[in-house]
Amino acid sequence: MYVLVADDSRVMRQIVIRTLRQAGYDWKIIEAADGQEVYDLALAEQPDLILSDWNMPNATGIEALTALRQAGCDIPFGFVTSEGSQEMRDQAEAAGALFLVAKPFTAESFREVLEPVLA
Amino acid sequence: MSTTLVAVGRDQILTITQDVFAAMIDGGEVLVTEQEGPAGDFADPVCAWVDMTVELLGLGARAVVRTETAAAHELTRALLMMGPDEAVGPEDLVDAFGELANVVGGNVKSLLAAPAVLSLPTVAAHPPELAQSQFMQDLTVDWRGYTLVVSLWLIG
Repeated sequence: MYVLVADDSRVMRQIVIRTLRQAGYDWKIIEAADGQEVYDLALAEQPDLILSDWNMPNATGIEALTALRQAGCDIPFGFVTSEGSQEMRDQAEAAGALFLVAKPFTAESFREVLEPVLA
Repeated sequence: MSTTLVAVGRDQILTITQDVFAAMIDGGEVLVTEQEGPAGDFADPVCAWVDMTVELLGLGARAVVRTETAAAHELTRALLMMGPDEAVGPEDLVDAFGELANVVGGNVKSLLAAPAVLSLPTVAAHPPELAQSQFMQDLTVDWRGYTLVVSLWLIG
């Protein structure tokens, strides 16, 4: 698996990658620091999965997802964000996201949402 | 209306803070406990805050986390899994401590009475001064012997 992890916080990207490994997913990772980079790297690198923060500079995660879908890119996309309200989950789903993991998360949080995607 | 919007209890702030620290820093162990009495002034403070704005109402809330810089260094080391003697650079401090406030604030946002937009975190020695009438709630906690204060303010 080739996975794009996006968060404007380098610390949070490290925590996401560390937690994925704890969950048993020893994947090849590329990183993005804002929504524009998510869009550019997704199209250039064609990862198998995108795990993205929502609130980022230079385009939010949902703006990046919307732009990718408009560009015909259907790479599976999930949010990892500090905002886990029902409103955000509905908005994420409407834009084409497969899941939303709320921060703080555990290895189990990732397994719960990723196992159905990987099945 | 404004007080209804930000009707977040101290117990809820404590639960959020304990969950965030346990999951992100302390390997699932709850090491954050409520500290009785006021925190007092920090000698070398550092603050991180996020704003939650309800655009339709022109109102919102600000969640502020403040502590001693030494504690923020320790938090940064823990988040980045650095050794106890490794020096913490200013960029890592801003990133790590800001992200902590971001996750706390994002969880507080889900408790607000109306949908709000969360800002990116800001880190500085002191937050912008707000009127005492805007103060809503605060909580002083102990984490590994360090004192942190999480406070909630009305803005707008």
